[in-house]
Amino acid sequence: MIVCVAVVGHQNNPLYIQSFTEADDALKLHHIVHCSLDVVDERVNNPKKSGLTLNETFLGLLYPTENYKVYGYLTNTKVKFILVTTDLDVRDADVRNFFRRFHAAYVDAVSNPFHVPGKKITSRTFAERVSNIVKSFGLSSAG
Amino acid sequence: MAPVAPRSGDAIFASVEHVNAELFTLTYGAIVRQLLTDLEEVEEVNKQLDQMGYNIGVRLIDEFLAKSNVSRCVDFKETADVIAKVGFKMFLGVGASVTNWDADGTCCSIVLEDNPLVDFVELPDTCQGLYYCNILSGVVRGALEMVSMKTEVTWVRDMLRGDDAFELQVKLLKQVPEEYPYKDDE
Amino acid sequence: MGREVSESCIDSLLTEMVSSYCNRFYSNTPELAARRIEAIGYQVGHQLSERYTMERPRFTDHLEAIKFICKDFWSELFKKQIDNLKTNHKGTFVLQDNKFRWLSRMSGDPSVENGTQDPESKAAQAMSMYLYFPCGIIRGALSNLGIPCAVSADISSLPACSFVIRIKV
Repeated sequence: MIVCVAVVGHQNNPLYIQSFTEADDALKLHHIVHCSLDVVDERVNNPKKSGLTLNETFLGLLYPTENYKVYGYLTNTKVKFILVTTDLDVRDADVRNFFRRFHAAYVDAVSNPFHVPGKKITSRTFAERVSNIVKSFGLSSAG
Repeated sequence: MAPVAPRSGDAIFASVEHVNAELFTLTYGAIVRQLLTDLEEVEEVNKQLDQMGYNIGVRLIDEFLAKSNVSRCVDFKETADVIAKVGFKMFLGVGASVTNWDADGTCCSIVLEDNPLVDFVELPDTCQGLYYCNILSGVVRGALEMVSMKTEVTWVRDMLRGDDAFELQVKLLKQVPEEYPYKDDE
Repeated sequence: MGREVSESCIDSLLTEMVSSYCNRFYSNTPELAARRIEAIGYQVGHQLSERYTMERPRFTDHLEAIKFICKDFWSELFKKQIDNLKTNHKGTFVLQDNKFRWLSRMSGDPSVENGTQDPESKAAQAMSMYLYFPCGIIRGALSNLGIPCAVSADISSLPACSFVIRIKV
């Protein structure tokens, strides 16, 4: 199950963060997202050490914690997408598919003429779309 | 005298040069946002968008008449129909329909269920009075004026304000009987 | 999405935008009109670069980003690529479009030909105002890709048009 997703701007400014748990652990999840940003920076600055395919947007598993797996994605415009899940057995294709759809939703949200670059995304349409993408995570790799 | 049958909007749209709609949509959005910054008052932005549309309508009518084989619509009813079905389709690629005729045939509604201008757009709370698509009402008014029909065009429904479609009410104020009061200087 | 509109839509919108800013809102201050037109282009370029770089590996250097502007980005907007790219290898790039679509479509435009006493300079003036828009688009696109720069246009050999990009260091 996906417990948290986030979009973070190129100056590590949060643009959107949403947790999807019943439990009162938003703070903990936000902390995990925050820590993952350093891992993203490190990966991107040392691509050889981390064995990344050069400059691919999908960064793969950033780090596993005891209860969560954290994945990352970095766009050409230096926007970071973070996914935190409790599933321990996650298919790579599902994560890639998730980020692709998450990214597409983000691109539409910032195409709103009233969106100010670098400011938080407050669009309700975006929130709904993300919540649908989260719900359908792992159900199918199509679409 | 029956005019030559107008070409269908689909046929004309297929024959003209196209550009990707994103460029158009985003450019219009950026213009609206810049106008809000420069003019400050939402009311003034509505007015200027309408004026810009009017100027565009005045110029587009020639291309419209030339490409659609619509030689001259004398009848308001027929004209409204052609604008909705052929005009919108040939420029924006979306069809519109005409409804809500009043008894004496001088007032009707043009209804758009799809509108490329508003892809991606969500109005912020500070712009609730904004008629985002006001350029369209101006285009219709300007184009009709060039075929001797003075009209008043107002928004009745607006999807950005939660309605289920875009509806423009077009009211004929005066029809100048001359054929072409404005001479094309080309 | 693949949605399209007729080319007249964008042509008339741009013509009217330029004429509104130059003749109505800032008729006495052309430099302000120019700034506004550039800002509109900037927003469009910023948004378009976000869209058109989706599902594409990140660029490794400036040249790669500039090449993207010349090829894919230009093709999306004008259905053709930039014809010639030159650089001094010190952060200046010159992108030449041998037949810049917006200028060639513009020649029949009454707002350009209306010049009374001195039609030629009037036309050149209108054209240079108009070009602030594509300059803004390029600057917006590159700045969103992390490349702050200044962009100007050169129309000394019409109908070719060159865009000069100076990357800020």
